[in-house]
Amino acid sequence: MQKETIIPESRDNAFRDLIIKSPGGENLLTCMQCGICAGSCPVSHEMDHTPRQMVRMIQLGLKKEVLNSNTIWICTTCFSCSVRCPRGIYPTELMETLKPIAIKEGIKNRNAKFDNIFADVVKKNGRASEFLLISKYSISEPGMIAQAPFGLELISKGKLPLSIDKMDDTRELDSIFSLSEKTGSEEKTKIKEKPPEIKENNSDSQEAEK
Amino acid sequence: MAENKEPLVNETPQKETPSKIEIAPRKIGVYLCRCGGNISDVVDLQSVAESLKGENVTVNIQDYLCSSAGQDKIKSDIEKGKIDRVVIGSCSPKLHLETFRGMAKKAGANPTLLEITNIREQASWVHDKEGKESVNSKVKGLIKGAVARMGSIEPLVPLEKKLVDRTLVVGGGIAGITTALEIADDHEVILIEKQPYLGGHMIGLSKTFPTMDCSQCILTPKMVAVHNHSGITMHTQTEVAEVKGSPGDYSITLKHSPRYVDIKKCISCGACTRKCHTGAIFLPFAQAVPQAYMIDVSKCDRCGACVTICPRDAVNLDAKEEISTISVGAVAIATGFEPIDPSFIEEYNYPAPNLLTAVEFEDMLSAKSKTGMRLQKADGSFPDRVAFVLCAGSRDFTGKGRKHCSKVCCIYSQKQAQLVKKMKADAQAWIFYIDMRSAGRRFEEFYHHTQEKGVNYVRGKVAEIIPKQDGTLMVQYEDTNLGRKGREIFDMVVLCPALIPSAGTKELADKLGVPLGDDGFIEEKHVKLDPVNTLNQAAFAAGCVLGPKDIHDSVTEGMSAAHKVSQFLGKGMILIPPEKPMILECNGCGDCVKACPYNALSLSEGKAVLSPLACTGCGICVPACPIKGIEIRNFTRNQLKAQLKAMLEDAPGVVVFIDPYAYAAADIAGVNRKQYSSLVRFISLPSIHVLDGDVVNAAFEYGATGVMLIEGTTDEKLTSRSDDLYKKLKKDTRKHKKPLRYSHIETAQYEKLTDLLNVFASQAGAKAEKKSKKEKGEEASEEKV
Ligand SMILES: Cc1cc2nc3c(=O)[nH]c(=O)nc-3n(C[C@H](O)[C@H](O)[C@H](O)COP(=O)(O)OP(=O)(O)OC[C@H]3O[C@@H](n4cnc5c(N)ncnc54)[C@H](O)[C@@H]3O)c2cc1C
Ligand code: SF4
Ligand code: SF4
Ligand code: SF4
Ligand code: SF4
Repeated sequence: MQKETIIPESRDNAFRDLIIKSPGGENLLTCMQCGICAGSCPVSHEMDHTPRQMVRMIQLGLKKEVLNSNTIWICTTCFSCSVRCPRGIYPTELMETLKPIAIKEGIKNRNAKFDNIFADVVKKNGRASEFLLISKYSISEPGMIAQAPFGLELISKGKLPLSIDKMDDTRELDSIFSLSEKTGSEEKTKIKEKPPEIKENNSDSQEAEK
Repeated sequence: MAENKEPLVNETPQKETPSKIEIAPRKIGVYLCRCGGNISDVVDLQSVAESLKGENVTVNIQDYLCSSAGQDKIKSDIEKGKIDRVVIGSCSPKLHLETFRGMAKKAGANPTLLEITNIREQASWVHDKEGKESVNSKVKGLIKGAVARMGSIEPLVPLEKKLVDRTLVVGGGIAGITTALEIADDHEVILIEKQPYLGGHMIGLSKTFPTMDCSQCILTPKMVAVHNHSGITMHTQTEVAEVKGSPGDYSITLKHSPRYVDIKKCISCGACTRKCHTGAIFLPFAQAVPQAYMIDVSKCDRCGACVTICPRDAVNLDAKEEISTISVGAVAIATGFEPIDPSFIEEYNYPAPNLLTAVEFEDMLSAKSKTGMRLQKADGSFPDRVAFVLCAGSRDFTGKGRKHCSKVCCIYSQKQAQLVKKMKADAQAWIFYIDMRSAGRRFEEFYHHTQEKGVNYVRGKVAEIIPKQDGTLMVQYEDTNLGRKGREIFDMVVLCPALIPSAGTKELADKLGVPLGDDGFIEEKHVKLDPVNTLNQAAFAAGCVLGPKDIHDSVTEGMSAAHKVSQFLGKGMILIPPEKPMILECNGCGDCVKACPYNALSLSEGKAVLSPLACTGCGICVPACPIKGIEIRNFTRNQLKAQLKAMLEDAPGVVVFIDPYAYAAADIAGVNRKQYSSLVRFISLPSIHVLDGDVVNAAFEYGATGVMLIEGTTDEKLTSRSDDLYKKLKKDTRKHKKPLRYSHIETAQYEKLTDLLNVFASQAGAKAEKKSKKEKGEEASEEKV
């Protein structure tokens, strides 16, 4: 893997600031690179950058690397990293923030493809079908041929039903999809306003008020 | 008491007529400090000066009032007779009031006629994000209020009270031992320790970094010295039950738990242990000081064998908890730390076999060892693979653990790793760390040396510890230097837990009126410049009760605290504030006598009389007197009203009456630049209990949009009455229909304070707006509050 030297041109501060203002990013600058997130992550060994490294890269504004990383697609949203982070950072939320940005930027990779096919299947049938999903994905992803014997075995054992379940009335679902297509990516990346600082009245005074 | 001087009262007390406020013409000088831009960058001091034009005062602005040039200016103005009273607008009075008053005294003025208005921590530092106009208007109001107050107060002379020349040291760890030994040559010391023996955590240590000398070898002589010193009375198994009296003259009740063996009689012959069939009677450990056996009652079946065999008649199975009372002038707090219980860290699965805390690890290799100073697993064998897991519960900002760094774990874990390697050269020792913090003399060398010994360092916070059936432990982590996840099996895993203040620190601090920081450790009087003093002038602190540290630093602080105690006691006298009640009119009803929580009032020949030294100046007697015959000097109703009137004359605001403990919280908010509404105007009081409906009504009448009472004291004698005070004031001021609120804010809770001020200021503002709209008839009558 070629490692590029980090130079001012590789850093995108606007990208960094956008992520900091997104949900789960509030504490991003306080990451101390302890690595408990990556050590806890059940799939970090599959990622090309561990969650900790993603946080570091966002801090630096390395937009290209961050958005091209397979990490955001591999994350299973198990939240292990987020519950253990001692600085209150939510790497899980960051992944969710980054996915639509990557899609919008037109970044293509295996994992994005998988997500798109999944969405397509659901859109058409109203239900997920494992058979359709696997077969469509296999066609678009040549490497999957190696998995074919395993797939056949599953079918023979009845673990991969061939019947395609359909929803009777998909109108409501359609409207959800069309809504999400309209507002979808904008909505996701929109900067969430921080809630106002003022906390509710302290209890002493309320009690006294009574 | 003959040795106490009565205040030299200047004006004959006269009952003030509440209707008119008179300010006699005085020669008041107002001095405003730019504080090198800290104030003047935000506040337009020139316009503040101009706003005082009609006030008949001289005004002067200086770059740094605390500098010798600044002080000389005031001094020469006093000496030349240009002024005789001083109002200073500068940083918090907690910083320089004493300095300025000392200067005024030298120049020939009465020090109580110099007061400071805090326009830095309470204005420029906390409102710099607001419009200049509103900050300026606040400062103008504050200074005008201060000038009016200065015109109305009387010169007072502090009372002198003889000090009790004896010190209580609480905690017999290395910090307490050092403090006691350093004081005891000059002043009598009573040292109390909760445990049955001295030494604290240090007696439970193996070797000590950075020199690796054995802990008990350097500590035992000190413990013996404490035991043998004629100036030190030592009580083990003892805690503070109650504190009465005042700084310089405390009466403290101690609670002694039973040991069942008389320390003075026991000669440690051990005859009892040999006879005891349950193993209930034992010597804590061979080097324990005091050298005396003790009984674990949970094991004792009262057979009496030990009683019979003891040649010295030292055993008493019927011993009970005892109480004693001591009289001391000063208290040194050295109650140290305790490790946090790591079981809250779910992913570490503590407790489990062979999963210990570093304190348990040390114990095994110390004088207190129960394994014959052998490092061993639960099955008795030596652990060939040992992992040290750092920052277990430290550096955590989520609220689950503690924010602070525990400071010593980075170094002691390396010491422990070295010991493992020393005991068995081919054993493995791994240290999992986030940042290796080895700042301090000889510590980087220690780090280097440990690396040379072959200890394996992994940069990464351990993610999971999974205990296995066979007693081994699986550790999962990310090696952050490589960005790769790893798993390793160990025979023993040592957690380095966050070090927190020992249990009971808060209770003790509350009894002594000593505030804690938001981390629970004792708050220093000044973080940098007064590190072993507290806000209570007679209470000092040393060692880990001020935050985690090593032995070297604990000893240094013990010596500093001892010096401060000796300096304090050496004066022989303590000055107590002269702001005490004056009884102007009395019909002998005795209500004040009943109300006073400190028994400072009594009836003599049908009239109330005050014992000024017992009085704390809390002011509870003021509203208690049905004929308004009592006033606190310099905080009389009329003086407070004069200040309020001038303060609110030009611009309305929210009036916040605040006691000294909560005032300290506002100072911390200032230091941390926590912004809050510039409508807030503090009025500093010795306690909020001097207030009655008269004063609060006046505040509303002069234009306050809301009034808050903020109390920070932890003295239950006062706080237990606050609710009643609040209800009474609410009732008495109902007619104004303006918001009134009470809140308790301890010194550490500065964030809560600023949140509260913001909420209240906006509520009061909204209510005032609504009211004025209503008055203007813009709103229909439907909206009834
Ligand atoms: C695992 C570990 C290893 C360490 N190794 C080293 C080392 O190698 N070198 C080094 O320099 N430092 C080391 N330290 C730090 C060292 O232990 C401390 O600096 C030192 O013990 C602090 O002493 P202290 O007197 O302030 O507190 P403590 O040792 O905690 O003593 C406080 C004493 O007060 C008593 N007490 C508490 N509350 C009350 C109460 N309410 N009333 C009466 N008594 C009370 C306690 O029982 C205790 O005896 C280590 C710390 C740990 C945790
Ligand atoms: S757990 Fe939190 S602080 Fe630690 S590396 Fe991950 S994001 Fe940073
Ligand atoms: S939420 Fe995602 S990144 Fe975090 S631990 Fe789970 S899989 Fe890994
Ligand atoms: S001293 Fe080291 S191990 Fe201990 S809390 Fe601080 S950084 Fe963590
Ligand atoms: S001020 Fe407080 S302590 Fe003093 S006499 Fe009045 S009630 Fe008692």
